[in-house]
Amino acid sequence: MTLNLGILLPEWIALGALLVMLTGEIVSGQGAWRWNRAIARASSVVILIVLLFFKGTKTQAFGGMFVLDSFAVTFKILLTAAVFFILPMCRGLGAAHGNRPEAFHLVLWTALIGMFFLVSSRDFLLLFVSLEIVTLSFYIMTAWLKRSLLSIEAGLKYLVLGSLASAFLVFGIGLVYTASGAVTFEAVAAFFRANPRAPLMILGLLFMISGLGFKMAAVPFQLWVPDVYQGAPTPVTAFLAVGSKSAGVAVLLRVLTEVFPGWADQRMLLFGVLSALTLLYGNFAALPQTNIKRLFGYSSIAHAGYLLMGLACGAPQGSSAVLFYLMAYIPANLAAFWVITLVGEASGNDEIASYRGLARRSPVLAAVFFTALLSLAGVPPLAGFFAKFLILFAAVRSGLGALALFGALLVAVSLFYYLSIVRRMYLEEPENPSKIEVPFDTRALLVVLAAALLLLGFIQAPFLAQAVRSLPGLG
Amino acid sequence: MVYALSAVPFLAALAILLTPSDRTALLRRIALAGTGFSFVLTLVLFAAFDRSRAGFQFVSSVPWIPSLGISYTVGLDGINLTLCLLHALVSFAGAFMAVRTTDRLKTYLFFYMVLSGAIYGVFTALDLFFLYLFYETTLIPLYPMIGIWGSKNKEYGAMKLTLFITTGAVLSLFGLLMLVHSAGLNSFDLAALTRALQAAPLSDSLQRWLAPVIVLGFGVIASLWPLHSWSPIGYAAAPTSVSMLHAGVLKKMGPYFILRVAVALLPLGTAHWSSWLAILATTGILYAGYAAIRQRDLKFMVGFSSVSHMGYVLLGIAAMTQTSLTGTVLLMFAHGIMAAATFALIGWIYEQTHARGVLDFGGLAKQIPFVGVSFVLVSLASLGLPGFVNFAAELTIFVGSWTRFPWAVALAVFGILITAIYLLRAVQSVCYGPVNPRWKDLKDAQTLTEKWPFLLLIGALIVFGFYPRALTALVGPAVAALTGGQP
Repeated sequence: MTLNLGILLPEWIALGALLVMLTGEIVSGQGAWRWNRAIARASSVVILIVLLFFKGTKTQAFGGMFVLDSFAVTFKILLTAAVFFILPMCRGLGAAHGNRPEAFHLVLWTALIGMFFLVSSRDFLLLFVSLEIVTLSFYIMTAWLKRSLLSIEAGLKYLVLGSLASAFLVFGIGLVYTASGAVTFEAVAAFFRANPRAPLMILGLLFMISGLGFKMAAVPFQLWVPDVYQGAPTPVTAFLAVGSKSAGVAVLLRVLTEVFPGWADQRMLLFGVLSALTLLYGNFAALPQTNIKRLFGYSSIAHAGYLLMGLACGAPQGSSAVLFYLMAYIPANLAAFWVITLVGEASGNDEIASYRGLARRSPVLAAVFFTALLSLAGVPPLAGFFAKFLILFAAVRSGLGALALFGALLVAVSLFYYLSIVRRMYLEEPENPSKIEVPFDTRALLVVLAAALLLLGFIQAPFLAQAVRSLPGLG
Repeated sequence: MVYALSAVPFLAALAILLTPSDRTALLRRIALAGTGFSFVLTLVLFAAFDRSRAGFQFVSSVPWIPSLGISYTVGLDGINLTLCLLHALVSFAGAFMAVRTTDRLKTYLFFYMVLSGAIYGVFTALDLFFLYLFYETTLIPLYPMIGIWGSKNKEYGAMKLTLFITTGAVLSLFGLLMLVHSAGLNSFDLAALTRALQAAPLSDSLQRWLAPVIVLGFGVIASLWPLHSWSPIGYAAAPTSVSMLHAGVLKKMGPYFILRVAVALLPLGTAHWSSWLAILATTGILYAGYAAIRQRDLKFMVGFSSVSHMGYVLLGIAAMTQTSLTGTVLLMFAHGIMAAATFALIGWIYEQTHARGVLDFGGLAKQIPFVGVSFVLVSLASLGLPGFVNFAAELTIFVGSWTRFPWAVALAVFGILITAIYLLRAVQSVCYGPVNPRWKDLKDAQTLTEKWPFLLLIGALIVFGFYPRALTALVGPAVAALTGGQP
């Protein structure tokens, strides 16, 4: 058993940063320590740079439990970049909410470390433990606003349903272990190759899909999404939408391709049906929403539908489409949630009505939100269009023509609720005409995100190539 | 060189974005220069086009996403060169109307340039992916342009227009993906697909269900009856330059895609459904014609009139003979110019009076002779009077469609009569009769800059009306190549 600890360099840096943050917070006492966000941001930049050096490697540590392949590196880059953008959103979570704001960054950072191990795990036990680290951190963050009833309720809801999902997952792992007597991916995969029809294995896989479907916000495991998205502090919602979902997709993708590659026909059927239901539910339930975060909860479900469609198609087209979809989905959601954070702070609520006349109150915020919404709706030449194009093309090529048609038509439905927000921002006059001041660095980063959407949408080839290179099981 | 047609407006849009919003004179100059450059370039291409050669010319290609067989290929044949010329004329004329905007000029011009560039993108690209990409890119500017700067019922009109066209677009996207997948070339290249599918057509059963998907999907933007209802409302709501571009040029993308994809790549399937298309087209001609008679709002009237005229275009497609298809392209050009000119004139009057009822005016030909006479001229063109290119176009369609659908041609000719009723009535009450004292301060187009857009458009109608061969010589061979026949 080789340890090979060098490839954990990003994790070491993250853990080191965590230690510094924790020590500083404890030693300095209440409110005196103000460096956690800066440390976290600096470390995320360092980690991003380090990760770029690991591109194209495939090495293992801990005797194969932990793997660093292009797939893991790509996801770690995406997640770290997401955290880099989420950290400045947390400025508003200050002492006003009766909490030690610096402690929040500790929890956020812990979630990131959990995700790092999650996307690298090639062992079901490591997978479960790291997933629990992520989920536990999210329970805390969701209920962070101690004085907000909605936040507490959201935390409780997430805790109860999340525990149920974890129970499904661990039960599934248990069944797989019962059948195969192994927990490492390699051993389980070998057993499944030899016994592709072992009922316990399939049953275990179905339980695992249920547990991970919870993370992805797929129907029928979507019940928690609207309430938690609405109640959680906005940066946490952003991290849920971006980080938690991507991590869930990553694990599902790796398990399906590396452990159960032979399970193809039923996979197409199961994920096809789930995708259709998720698309239908997410898009239509989003229509009557009046709260922007709730709307984004349903929109997140709708996007899970497209991701499931890609998962139904399988490798390589479907899987690469899923990876590109996430690359497009992450910046669009980061930009959108940042605007939601700022508008929420300025207006004191998250009603869609507060977006009236945003174009007059802050042209930059409105323009960035416009770009993000159109990208989420899948309008070219923005990233979301090409992502949906890839998913639909993969579905057509895999013989899922009817599903592709269904997914294509629902784009028009989603455009309606996204455009309703645009209508508020651009066509209506503000009730409160005061300008919303946006600091220069925030404005710059928002423009960077919007430009990224345009870049991904028009110069697609290098990003698609990166997605293809990062497919699990390839190296 | 062809890349520049769409690249220059996009660069102009970028320049507008970076210009401070209080430098209005500079903003206007950028917009006019951007559309003007593409206009001149189109004229150069029009002159340089080798009419003795069939097939695409000025072709260049940049590999874009090799793994999916996508490359940014551009090139022109008679069909899209004609449509580029149409867009060049309308977008340049429309820019003169667009710069007259007062509210949030910078944003408006930015969207206008994006729209203009995306339309050039559609009419120059020869790769199905890029055709679709540019086609849907036009949606980004349209919603805010109509929603913010529009007039009557603008929010409803903008949303309806956007949702209708998007639904049609995603339906056809599905059709295009099915088509590319079934062709099995791993390529989105239109020329390659056309060659391959003309040599070895797709199976009859596949064509039979794929062709209606494409025709209906793109039929929405072509305002194929009964999918047309977004069109009069949208045009009535839109600001002048958007109405011009949309009725004049954007609408022509529908027939253009149907020609390039349904007729050229799925001929058996399209032929199978052609009687149905002819029925829908004829219904559209008559239905929209009667609806136009009843309109009190000039813009609604012209909106229904454009639905009615698109019926002729679609009838020509349904007949699928070389003559009728040539007439179709010709009418797309003629109607585009005519519709744009009409909306520009109505916009001119509306800008000053904020009225556009058919009965609100009187004696404009006497009061503001230039605009009044122009209105009479475009109405006569719309009627299909000889001397305007519309006449040549409609005649070609009738002649070409007669062998296949004599009943439809008979009804379509009757449709001209209906057109005459509402147009002559409108001309009579707007341009002649007693002068309405409410508008005694109405100003005519005086300077050359003010007259220029109208002169440009009406001039084109008359020049090509007397010499339609300048266009038919281009379109004929291209249509022949499209249908696989010899030129």
